[in-house]
Amino acid sequence: MTATFAILKRELLTYFVSPLAYVFLGVFLFLAGVFFYLGIALTGEASLRVMMGNVSISLMFVLPMLTMRHFAEEQKTGTFEMLMTSPVSPVAILVGKWLASLTLCLLMLLGTGLFVAILAYYGEPDWGVIATSYLGLFLTCGVFCAGGLFASSLTDDQVAAGMGGIVLLMPLWLVGSASSLVGEEWQARLDHLALLPHLRSFTKGVIDTADLSYFALLTFGFLFLTFRTLESRRWR
Amino acid sequence: MIEVEHLTKRYGAFTAIEDVSFSVPKGHVLGFIGPNGAGKTTTMRVLTGFLPATEGRAVVAGFDVFEDPVEVKRRVGYLPETPPLYRELTVGEYLRFCAELRDLPRADRLRRVGEVMERVGLRGWERRVLGTLSKGYRQRVGLAQALLHNPPVLILDEPTSGLDPAQNVGVRELIAGLAGDHTIILSTHILPEVEALCAQVVLINKGKIAASGTMEAVRAQAAPAYYRVSLHAAGVEPAAVARAVGALAEVKVVQPDGEALRVESEPGVDPRPAIASMAVGRGWGVSGLERTIPTLEEAFLSIVGREGA
Amino acid sequence: MALSRQWRRRLAYGGNATLVTGLVLALLGVVYGVADRNRARFDFSSDSANQLQPDTLKKLELLAADGQEVEVIAFSSQEGKADTFFRNRAMKDLLAELDVHSATVKTRFVDFDRERLTAESLGVTEYGHLVVRRGEQRVDLKAREIFRNQGTGAERSLEFLGESAFSRAAAQLLSNRRKVIYTLRGHGELDPDERGPGGLSELKALLDQENYELKPLDFFFDRERTGAPTVPQDAAALLIARPKAALTDAEEDALITYVASGGAVGIFWDPGAPLPDLVERLGVTSPEGVVMDKLRVFPYNDRPVPTYGGHAMVEDLREERIVTVVAHAAPVRVPEELPAWITPSTVLRTSRDGWIDRGGVLDKGAAVYEPDIDLIGPVDMAVALELSPGQGGLVNEGKRVSRVLLMGDADALSNMIMGEGPGNPSFAVNAARWLTWDDARLAVVGKPTRVRRLALTEEDQGRIRWLVLGLLPALSILAGGAVWANRRGR
Repeated sequence: MTATFAILKRELLTYFVSPLAYVFLGVFLFLAGVFFYLGIALTGEASLRVMMGNVSISLMFVLPMLTMRHFAEEQKTGTFEMLMTSPVSPVAILVGKWLASLTLCLLMLLGTGLFVAILAYYGEPDWGVIATSYLGLFLTCGVFCAGGLFASSLTDDQVAAGMGGIVLLMPLWLVGSASSLVGEEWQARLDHLALLPHLRSFTKGVIDTADLSYFALLTFGFLFLTFRTLESRRWR
Repeated sequence: MIEVEHLTKRYGAFTAIEDVSFSVPKGHVLGFIGPNGAGKTTTMRVLTGFLPATEGRAVVAGFDVFEDPVEVKRRVGYLPETPPLYRELTVGEYLRFCAELRDLPRADRLRRVGEVMERVGLRGWERRVLGTLSKGYRQRVGLAQALLHNPPVLILDEPTSGLDPAQNVGVRELIAGLAGDHTIILSTHILPEVEALCAQVVLINKGKIAASGTMEAVRAQAAPAYYRVSLHAAGVEPAAVARAVGALAEVKVVQPDGEALRVESEPGVDPRPAIASMAVGRGWGVSGLERTIPTLEEAFLSIVGREGA
Repeated sequence: MALSRQWRRRLAYGGNATLVTGLVLALLGVVYGVADRNRARFDFSSDSANQLQPDTLKKLELLAADGQEVEVIAFSSQEGKADTFFRNRAMKDLLAELDVHSATVKTRFVDFDRERLTAESLGVTEYGHLVVRRGEQRVDLKAREIFRNQGTGAERSLEFLGESAFSRAAAQLLSNRRKVIYTLRGHGELDPDERGPGGLSELKALLDQENYELKPLDFFFDRERTGAPTVPQDAAALLIARPKAALTDAEEDALITYVASGGAVGIFWDPGAPLPDLVERLGVTSPEGVVMDKLRVFPYNDRPVPTYGGHAMVEDLREERIVTVVAHAAPVRVPEELPAWITPSTVLRTSRDGWIDRGGVLDKGAAVYEPDIDLIGPVDMAVALELSPGQGGLVNEGKRVSRVLLMGDADALSNMIMGEGPGNPSFAVNAARWLTWDDARLAVVGKPTRVRRLALTEEDQGRIRWLVLGLLPALSILAGGAVWANRRGR
């Protein structure tokens, strides 16, 4: 627990003492701002639904860039060796890093609170829907951070880790719109794998245990794979 | 304190180390020498629990590395070849992080960080960013990190590589000061360092132990002792002198060595009495009969050269 | 000990590790499968917009009972029209909910513009249409049954009634029992089997689609009858379409008995035709004369354009401004004072310029209002009455409310006018629905989904753009710059 927290603190410190986190925050808030503005300008609705869908897709590209250094850089600079020779289980390291990127995500989402304030000032948003939307987006962040970590654990090249993360996560988006390739029948099945159909429940105000388990299991799966990769880096 | 038995580590078809066994008593300093790629780093990684061995076992500070890796890691301070630093952090931030990582009691953390910084000569460097430090200072931070939890066992992979001579001496003194309280394994290229610090040496080559034991033993194992014999025989050809010495039953090999002769014998046989009496019998003067032990460097070269050729 | 160590190493490393990893991932898949089949859903939207109503869920359950697949095919709304975005989204949301709550429902959202072929193969010619199919059965829901615009300007709102529409369709799929509407015969009534202009064959076909069966009821030629004539037990309603001769006493009695037991009767007549006693018993009269109006269906002189009253059966038609045509209609007069057990409601009446023409001169072939002869309007042409049981009324205590539709024009149902009046088919079907208590299919009930509009002026938009695209990112970049400069100084 102490170790997880130590790693979480260290990662956050690293984020915030380098310009990296701020650039990310800036880029993300700008993208989200574009989607938010377009959403309300085109539909004239006091809601974040248009933004949520688009933001989740842009996170798919942004978050692997955020997590790419986690293991790749540690492998490269040798700090990974220090972590692994400390009396700390790999799981604690993994969870610490995952929580660190998730904390940054939380800050990013907190930044979009301005949008909610704008909606509340000019209109009457549905607070229940906004709350569940944010929950859904946060869970999405959890999946993407775990996937990005997995990609990062596979290589010691940061750029490859970032790109790999995007390539790894992309199918979660693409399988949701493959109906023209595989037909309606299979699309219905693929929708179980796709991220957006699960996120959609949240963005319309519904919390479904099946959707919750989708996000939880996917996150766990990626973290588990990362764990196995870290282990295997020692014997391969 | 450290027991290594028949350790073997394979990466697929490649064997990094094979059947490595040695032990280090408490408070001793073991020098780990060998050419690059001999398996030093691999052995150290196995001992620190970073790599699992394919076969064999290693017990460090009373715990099996494979069975109780966490207990072992608690008792080992490890300085990898390149100091494991986060470039963005300051010295203080980094060491405090390491202290937390090693699970030092909250109350002790700051005190230990201060002590260790003092010890490695980093006083007043707390707020410096690691990425801007020189190689020597990075090495010191790395060492500080290994010492933080006051581990009974220290494993240092090339602690002096890349340092200037003055820094070198500093680190060497530091390690000498640590011996006694800590059991230390030290790998290095710099043989004088080993001679200065280590009571015990393991010479590893191509993944196998080529020689091990006390300094003398290793030297003797690597290249047997020989004798420098200086005889003064007026009017006799040096070649004839050499032949006369070589004719003695106790002498195995005779080679000219400048003005003198280099004489080798079977192990355990001292040819000096025979040579002396022979010289006295012929009326030759004897100005030197010295037993010479080869330097570590000679031993190293003789082994690496012998097998590496 | 040595063996177990070896074994543990094997499990943790190498090929076995891959196997273990694979097994764990497969297990995750299984867990998801279980979670997908046993889900709990909680709707947190403030008006529970996504929560399907218990009634709908019940119907989905019933539909799933025999395992037969139910196809729900929704068509997109027209691109570029106001609210298309909301319409499509609301529809997709509904489809998702249906999908989640039923194993047998297969939903599909079809882009009407891009997938013309699908639309054609289903015979759909309208944006925003919904088709619900099960086996041979098929129910079509029109866009205007699903979407409804309310108010104008800033008050404008879109109501989405998709769930109730689907619910109705499901009810139709579920009701295997066709309701029987008896049509009285034997007095020269309009004949459901007659295909000529004066017949009701089109009405019969129309009602057949809606799962109603028009069955003739002939008190004279009923061979199985013993004793006095009665309306059969299975009658959902009785239709009397312009008898040319008066009913016999026995028949009148049968009719009264039927109403007394809570039966529903629709009586249609034309000027001059005899009326059953029942009408009189209700206090309703049909004064001599023909209903006229300055608003007439061109080029006819005897076809006033009726306006719709407040009754539920014509709500949709009034909403959509679809005209029902009547020809040569007789007035229906409901007295000001009615007993408490009768609740009247106007269905069709003339405009304010209508009157009852009782003869006089013609102007270019058309009747004109002559105050000394004619009776001033507006005049009712169709009236719906609900007769509460008891209270000294016609309907017996303990029976259900009896519904009676009285209309001074039978031609409106005939093949001749049915094809001409744009609203006549809906009017006829709605009349049948009302009489048979299929109100759910008539007045769409259920919760409409509201769109939360954001009214922004140009200035507001500019301000928001600046805040969102400029200030927020700039702040974070600035913070980054400050930290970087601070660190670099060390």
